[in-house]
Amino acid sequence: MFRKVLIANRGEIALRILRACRALGVESVVAYSEADRESLPVQLADEAICIGPADARRSYLSAPAVISAALITGCDAVHPGYGFLSEDEGFAEVVAAHDITFIGPPATVLERFASKAGTRQLMAAHGLPTIPGSEGMLRDDLHALSEADRIGYPVLVKPSAGGGGKGMRMARTPRELEGFLKVCRSEAKAAFGDDALYLEKWLDENRHVEVQVAVDRFGHGVHLGERDCSVQRRHQKIIEEGPTPALDAVARANLAETAVRAVVAAGYENVGTLEFLVDRDGNVFFIEINCRIQVEHPVTEMLTGIDLVATQIRIAAGEPLGFSQSDVTLRGHAIEFRINAEDPEHDFRPSAGVVERYHAPGGPGVRMDSHLFEGYEVPPFYDSLLGKLIVWGPDRASAIARGRVALDELVVDGLITNTAIHQALLQSETFIDGSFTTNLLDRVGSAAFTAAAARAS
Amino acid sequence: MPETGPSDARRSHRSAVERSADHAAIERLMTELLPSLIAKLGATGLGELEVREGQWRVRLRRPIGGRAPSATSHAPARDRASRAAERADRADRAERPDRTERSAERGSDDGRATATSPAVGVYRPRRDLSAGDRVQAGDALGAVDMLGIPQEVVSPADGVVGLSLVESGDAVEYGQPLLVIEVLGGGAGSTAANAETTGSSTATDSSNGTGAG
Repeated sequence: MFRKVLIANRGEIALRILRACRALGVESVVAYSEADRESLPVQLADEAICIGPADARRSYLSAPAVISAALITGCDAVHPGYGFLSEDEGFAEVVAAHDITFIGPPATVLERFASKAGTRQLMAAHGLPTIPGSEGMLRDDLHALSEADRIGYPVLVKPSAGGGGKGMRMARTPRELEGFLKVCRSEAKAAFGDDALYLEKWLDENRHVEVQVAVDRFGHGVHLGERDCSVQRRHQKIIEEGPTPALDAVARANLAETAVRAVVAAGYENVGTLEFLVDRDGNVFFIEINCRIQVEHPVTEMLTGIDLVATQIRIAAGEPLGFSQSDVTLRGHAIEFRINAEDPEHDFRPSAGVVERYHAPGGPGVRMDSHLFEGYEVPPFYDSLLGKLIVWGPDRASAIARGRVALDELVVDGLITNTAIHQALLQSETFIDGSFTTNLLDRVGSAAFTAAAARAS
Repeated sequence: MPETGPSDARRSHRSAVERSADHAAIERLMTELLPSLIAKLGATGLGELEVREGQWRVRLRRPIGGRAPSATSHAPARDRASRAAERADRADRAERPDRTERSAERGSDDGRATATSPAVGVYRPRRDLSAGDRVQAGDALGAVDMLGIPQEVVSPADGVVGLSLVESGDAVEYGQPLLVIEVLGGGAGSTAANAETTGSSTATDSSNGTGAG
């Protein structure tokens, strides 16, 4: 096991990693930007070090700053969390060159899965069904148009690097596609420093289902069930749950087993997530793999009782997984609500400010992962995630009931949050009967859900 | 100006030679003595330093709770009248520790700047620079080595290199205070103002004090 871990992230995930390190009995150092000096992870840290200014490019995204901080504080491992440097194979390589362990897949593994198009080909070769798409990267606009014709419209333009919906556009006609290519290139370039794009066939009414896996260095892998992340706003997940209401028990088990078999065969290591689209008829298509701990990992933790962050750290330290598939039991139903500092009434505009009052809900099966506290000033420089409310129940209906109670109990004063949209969604028949699709919220508009909820109450 | 009256009166019965010697002494004080004294106080960690030279006596006192030294009498003279007032005030303060105290605190408020670390890494000060050296705002004071990439530490103000807050080779974080720069001229306004107000109330004392000093 490691001596000391540098936590190279902020907000709730920095706190989550700090807790996992403590549970493992490993010392840790929280690396923070000037804007996060007063943040909760810094206050609770055993040790903290300022690595740069508020601008993430010079702090959380600066490989030299993070590695320098790890070296001077005597850390032998770096945990990148999610976002920032978490899937940067160049960073992982430089970390390793300094005899520090990157907590995630080794650089060679990250490199193998770095390109989304390459990963699709690799996973297809290992038996996963993939969504029809362009052959490799788009060389130019002409190539894009001819590939789109072959696949059939609508098509989704996607950047090869990164995620989170940046640089992604759905085009219904060649004319739309031509218009989007330039925008997507510049967005991808700005967000990931790489403007390579590819095309995928757009499935109009689909669901996003992802399988959580854990594979140790010895090629021993397990799946930890799946999560459904179909409630999205502009490709950003806002509610995640497990198990997925989209597939029956047999189909879910098939999907998870196929996924873990393929990913082990492809040489993956550490925790990871395989994302799939599920169409109206229950057909499953592999889209990408996330080589990091994900925002929504607590859903799986609630279902399995397994500490995923601790597992990730143990695997990176070279320990065997220590359990097999038959030891993994998925119990009940879990739902996660992302509480964001966004104003649903003003196009989800991010809000920053001081948290005047804060109350985290409690009770059986209720978990709040958040870095908020009363008096905390939310800085305007980073993403708007304030915390995650996760509820568990023996079945989906009881999880939804607990979710309603917990959302009503949550108090975050001083900032505008998206709590109202979660409350509205829990009143919506589409959510309650489990038939939400990824583009529903954008198509209908969140205001329609809040208005319907207001009428119903 | 009525405040400078007593000093002017006093100067009138001093010889031209004596006056020019005073001016030379003040010049030397500013350019040579004071910077090296600041450095000395910074390096020793002493609370107070007093030096007598000829007719002059200079006392430096570290402000309470402060880590770096501050001169109680380092305002550059703007004209002959204020130089005289300054001289009178200095002598006065030498006799009255309570006033010295107050003035030193004022000096520390606006007479000091701190060079901070531009990066997380290992601090390497410039070898050819030592305490007491004059620097200008933007001058390189050293570098912080961030994974082999030197990030320049620059002076935040025109002044004199003062107390070093970290050692060469120390690990430093972003924004960490590294080096005190005693700002020359920064405290001039307040010290002069102080001199003027005390000058009127202690007119007799000053003229006697200067002669005795």
